[in-house]
Amino acid sequence: MHTKIEDIFNMIRINNIKNYILLFVVLFAFSYQALAEVDGAQIFKQNCTACHVLGETKLIGPGLKGITEKRDKEWLKKWINNSSELIASGDADAIAIFEEYNKVAMTNFYFSDEEFEALFGYLENPPVEEAPVAIQNTVVAEEEGLSASTQMMLIALVLLILIYILTSVKNSLKESLGQDTESVSETVQSNFTLFFSNTINKLFVGLFFAIVILKFVYDAMMGVGITTNYQPEQPIAFSHKIHAGDNGIDCNYCHVSARKSKHSSIPSANVCMNCHASIVEGSIAGTTELQKIYDAVGYDPDKRQYIEGYEQKPIEWVRIHNLPDLAYFNHSQHVNVGKIECQECHGAIEEMDVVKQENDLTMGWCINCHRETEVEMEGNDYYTSLHEKMKEQYSGEKITVDKIGGLECGKCHY
Amino acid sequence: MTKAKKYWKGLAELNNDPIVDKLKQNEFVEEIPVDKFLGDSDISSTSTSRRDFLKFLGFSTAAATLAACETPVNKAIPYVIKPEEVIPGVANFYATTMYDGHDYASVLVKTREGRPIKIEPNKTGTNARVQASVLSLYDSTRLKNPMKSGIESDWNTVDADITAELEKISTDGGNIAFLTSTILSPSTKQLIADFSSKYKNVRHVQMDTVSSHGTLEANKTSFGVRALPMYRFDKAAVIVSFGADFIGNWGHPNNEKDYALGRNPNDGKMSKHYQVESTLSLTGSNADERIQIKPSEQAGLLSNLLNALNGAAADNRIAKMAADLSKNAGNSIVVCGSNDTKIQILVNAINDKLGNYENTISLSAPSYLNQGNDTDVAQLIADMNAGNIAALITYNVNPSYSLQNAAGYNSGLEKVSLSISTSLYNDESASKMMYSCPDNHYLESWGDAMPTHGEYTFMQPTISPLFNGRQFQESIMKWMGGSDYHTYLQNYYSFADWNQSLHDGYFTSNDRKVNPASFSAIIPSFDLSKSEALEFEMTEKISMGDGSQSNNPWLQELPDPLSRACWDNYLTMSASTAGDLGITNWNISNGALNGSMVNITVNGTTLNNVPVMIQPGQANGTVALAVGYGRTAAGKCGNDIGFNAFSLGNGDATIEVIGGEYEFAAVQLHHTMMGRDIVKETTLADFIVDPTSGNHKTLYATHDGPKTGDKVSLWDEFDHATGHFWNMSIDLTLCTGCAACVISCHAENNVPVVGKEEVRKSRDMHWLRIDRYFSSEMTKELSAEEKISAITMYAEMEEPSGNPETVFQPVMCQHCNHAPCETVCPVAATSHGSEGQNHMAYNRCVGTRYCANNCPYKVRRFNWFQYSENDKFDFNMNDDYGKMVLNPDVVVRSRGVIEKCSMCIQQIQSIKLDAKKAGRTVRDEDAQTACSSACSTNAIVFGDVNDDTHQIQGLKKDTRSYALLEHLNTDPSVFYQTKIRNKA
Repeated sequence: MHTKIEDIFNMIRINNIKNYILLFVVLFAFSYQALAEVDGAQIFKQNCTACHVLGETKLIGPGLKGITEKRDKEWLKKWINNSSELIASGDADAIAIFEEYNKVAMTNFYFSDEEFEALFGYLENPPVEEAPVAIQNTVVAEEEGLSASTQMMLIALVLLILIYILTSVKNSLKESLGQDTESVSETVQSNFTLFFSNTINKLFVGLFFAIVILKFVYDAMMGVGITTNYQPEQPIAFSHKIHAGDNGIDCNYCHVSARKSKHSSIPSANVCMNCHASIVEGSIAGTTELQKIYDAVGYDPDKRQYIEGYEQKPIEWVRIHNLPDLAYFNHSQHVNVGKIECQECHGAIEEMDVVKQENDLTMGWCINCHRETEVEMEGNDYYTSLHEKMKEQYSGEKITVDKIGGLECGKCHY
Repeated sequence: MTKAKKYWKGLAELNNDPIVDKLKQNEFVEEIPVDKFLGDSDISSTSTSRRDFLKFLGFSTAAATLAACETPVNKAIPYVIKPEEVIPGVANFYATTMYDGHDYASVLVKTREGRPIKIEPNKTGTNARVQASVLSLYDSTRLKNPMKSGIESDWNTVDADITAELEKISTDGGNIAFLTSTILSPSTKQLIADFSSKYKNVRHVQMDTVSSHGTLEANKTSFGVRALPMYRFDKAAVIVSFGADFIGNWGHPNNEKDYALGRNPNDGKMSKHYQVESTLSLTGSNADERIQIKPSEQAGLLSNLLNALNGAAADNRIAKMAADLSKNAGNSIVVCGSNDTKIQILVNAINDKLGNYENTISLSAPSYLNQGNDTDVAQLIADMNAGNIAALITYNVNPSYSLQNAAGYNSGLEKVSLSISTSLYNDESASKMMYSCPDNHYLESWGDAMPTHGEYTFMQPTISPLFNGRQFQESIMKWMGGSDYHTYLQNYYSFADWNQSLHDGYFTSNDRKVNPASFSAIIPSFDLSKSEALEFEMTEKISMGDGSQSNNPWLQELPDPLSRACWDNYLTMSASTAGDLGITNWNISNGALNGSMVNITVNGTTLNNVPVMIQPGQANGTVALAVGYGRTAAGKCGNDIGFNAFSLGNGDATIEVIGGEYEFAAVQLHHTMMGRDIVKETTLADFIVDPTSGNHKTLYATHDGPKTGDKVSLWDEFDHATGHFWNMSIDLTLCTGCAACVISCHAENNVPVVGKEEVRKSRDMHWLRIDRYFSSEMTKELSAEEKISAITMYAEMEEPSGNPETVFQPVMCQHCNHAPCETVCPVAATSHGSEGQNHMAYNRCVGTRYCANNCPYKVRRFNWFQYSENDKFDFNMNDDYGKMVLNPDVVVRSRGVIEKCSMCIQQIQSIKLDAKKAGRTVRDEDAQTACSSACSTNAIVFGDVNDDTHQIQGLKKDTRSYALLEHLNTDPSVFYQTKIRNKA
């Protein structure tokens, strides 16, 4: 018996090692590919997107779709590295482009040959445009719940089959002994009656159901007003994944007041226009979503100018994180003083196409964090004298937020 | 199987009688008369059964519950183009100038997301009315559109009509008159001058609701300067006021601050203040010695004083005062509130005799706060009635209400062919005009002011105009064919640094000074005489002023510092005079105050059914009524409250006592301290000898000898050595009772207004009240000396004396460190903070009110109703505009919870956060609560006792500091400083 089990373990181990090797190879291949791709894509995004799109649309400069076929690579290298030199050298193509684009000189970049290779590689094989992401209203947690209930149903089915088989076995045994046989339902019924003829059993089953119902009611009541995973459809299908994730824009660039104010305010449309005055085509939805911003501020993306006398219309975003009025929360306290990353409360926003509420935002959740988070006292003169005293008071212990009064009612409720 | 037995109920059933079958089917033998008791025969014909009804009931309850559970979708709507200076959630402050024709102040305006929400002092202090003026901005009953003959019109029509008519009048040589309040703005005066040169025959008449004509004319006669002097109350060692309420309503807004500066007992020097008056004023209640006279005696006493200073014998009442003045010649001030030129010349003569000019009184940089000319106004009314005025333009005035001769003005107005008003409201006067043009509130306007010579303050808009209004200056520019007052103003101040001045709110130019002539006037002389008649005097309340902010619910509900009544004006009378006339005041069973009513006639005008409030301190044989009430077109909250005292004018009164009783809304039941030491006080002389005088701690016998209360505590102490320990000190010597802090607290903490009926039921919501105590003739010492029984003693202690000494004591939550409220709360809704405050979590409160019952200071307030968005409480919180004044950092409390002073915890949290962000400690000047920042006299000081740089630390250790009801050992974080009077 012992040896057998060991064998099985060994087999698992060997299998695991094989698996690991396989996984490693696959991962390596993927990451290699990813590295090459990221390079070209990154160079493009960091340097080119302000003036060019990877399509046919003209921005400040021409669209770059198929540019590697249209122009000689060496010519392109010269142009990108120093276009004015190329124009000065009397290159006809260069002069023609310069004239066509209102004599706006292109910035000199001086890329290395490797960088050029990567960039051209990217330009030759631009990523396939993804279909616009459908707004997902289905909740992930629900999906998990479904699979759990399916499992339960499967177990129930197995149990039913087991009952059937066992009864059949019992019947065939009885038959062989010459006793009266019972049908499956009769067996179940008689056992059922037998079970419930015992008061203790009745009590336990009753208690069990009562507890289940109470638990259900309790959960339902406690869930009132809690909107974890709330993921409403927004008026503009803005993707944090593209902006904060792919393009790596700092959260504070748009949510500028998070460091200064209690609100981390939704950026006004003029902040969007800082970039989207020139980036008039999005990578997912093309122009449809961006047009909504232009409709709000009154901008003509074709002429690239603001419309005179336009009556501006505010964008009505749906607020996702709703704290009740009775609770005071200050972003700057947490972001600026507490040095907490946005993601700690809001989740991996940079991976969300559509933002959802990650945490339940209940008082218990707040308090938990206050109990665990250590106050960064070093280097802030505000805390100096307090720190001295508290170091003695809590020798060796972490000085957490609750120790400086972070659990007191009046700190958040006034 | 067992055999079934048959059971029957009776023989009839056994015999299968048909009646039994029938009974089996129908429970009730007779039909129940359902229709009869439901009173509706149609019910039986409907098919809805009782079960259906229950089903519907159950379903609808479940549906309603489910619907309530659903979280509403909230929108977050950012700016389209965000203004650079606005950060949502962060307040911006703008320096501006408050001036409404009556009150002037240089202020800072706190705005949140473009909404002004709070007024703070800047160059001058602020009084209650200035503090409350931010709510008047959001008055939805303001005039919204220009009106033509009482019908709403538009600016184009109105401008075209007015310009055409003005031009016609100008060509015909008709007279055009401006009737305005005192114009402080030099640029506006320039504009009016421009207007004169365009239209010719223009006259500009200025009027003050409470006139200083007498003083101005006296100064013109005596010194050749028609202006008010600037007084330096901080420099004066002796201050004598004959009926001038310079702390409350008279003169420059900085008087109160200066007065307090001269009254710091800690360095042993304190000005000596005499007040000679008939009606108890705020200033009189602060005086060291107060002398009661009838108004008719004033002139004689002043004459007597001048003679005494010249060496003659002084009247007994003023002998001490005269001696003190002589001793402090050149270092004293004599002021008088009279509007009589002769009396004011006499006062000038006294000050000149004492050599006070250019020492404590300055006419070289005089004040221009009042410029009204009663003669001009009378002449204008005469000319109007004679038909000599073709066009009348009014600004910032309400003559149909505030003139004693309103009838004369109204009849004259009918003879004016073009009448235009520019005002905030379609008030008593504007509604009589042909054109009423909505003016902008000062928080929506550009402007300037020269309150004193060489000092300029600026007004800048802090919000876009809420309504279709246009400021007066812009309007007259329009009627001259121009526009853009903003540029005009900037050009006018080309000699100043515009941006810096606008940022600071003011600038001072020293290069120009007035050169007053030396005193020369025929000094009038008066005999010491006293009229036997009942004399009437107009007064002004701290809350209402001249009534221009009558529609402001905060001010209406602000209890008068002296009478402690709100939502009313009333005739004040001494107990002795009232006794003679058979007039009484009495408390009904729930504590509310009722009083008799009278008809009063003064100068031929009669007011009927005027209630009488018995006011200690009112001179016998005199009565007084506050102005600013009796408005008929002020708005929903100010209309038909009280009586118009302007219509009476000062003079002899006849009173007819009538039946009936009047219901007051007074917030204080007891007038005296009944021998307890709630307010501890001593005299300056005693204090100099013994700094703990008046503040000896009670000692309790213990096994280890006598100890103070805090040493024999049963309580576990909180650790207040670590971190902040926020404390507040209230100096009773410096507190003048002006109540600016009460309104400031209202504005900062979203305190609701509850209305007169609720106040009568003692349900006022003020987080901060100013208790006022009068002294009584009876004392414990006296009763011991004269062997008076305890019952008689206490009965007599309840009666305030005829000329009482007054003390004011601001009381808010004392933030006890051994808090009686905390221990009785069954749900721990009120709990103690580590920084010394007593916290109150409204959302946790279930409304048992145990805490309020257990609070020895009675500072907890219960929300008996939902005061916001409730038509029953139709004040600012039930108004879309009025709600804009709410502080977004403070919760609006709901029905059924207790609320109280939080020590402005939102501000504490905010200054702490600012300090943390800047990496420094909290600065003393940043540590302010709403009440401390509004306090002109610095009586309320707030700070961190654990911080050596904070002023509060020294104050806590001061020999004068004591806790209220110390013997209860509640160990409050709020403490008081003994009241000290400068008398022997």
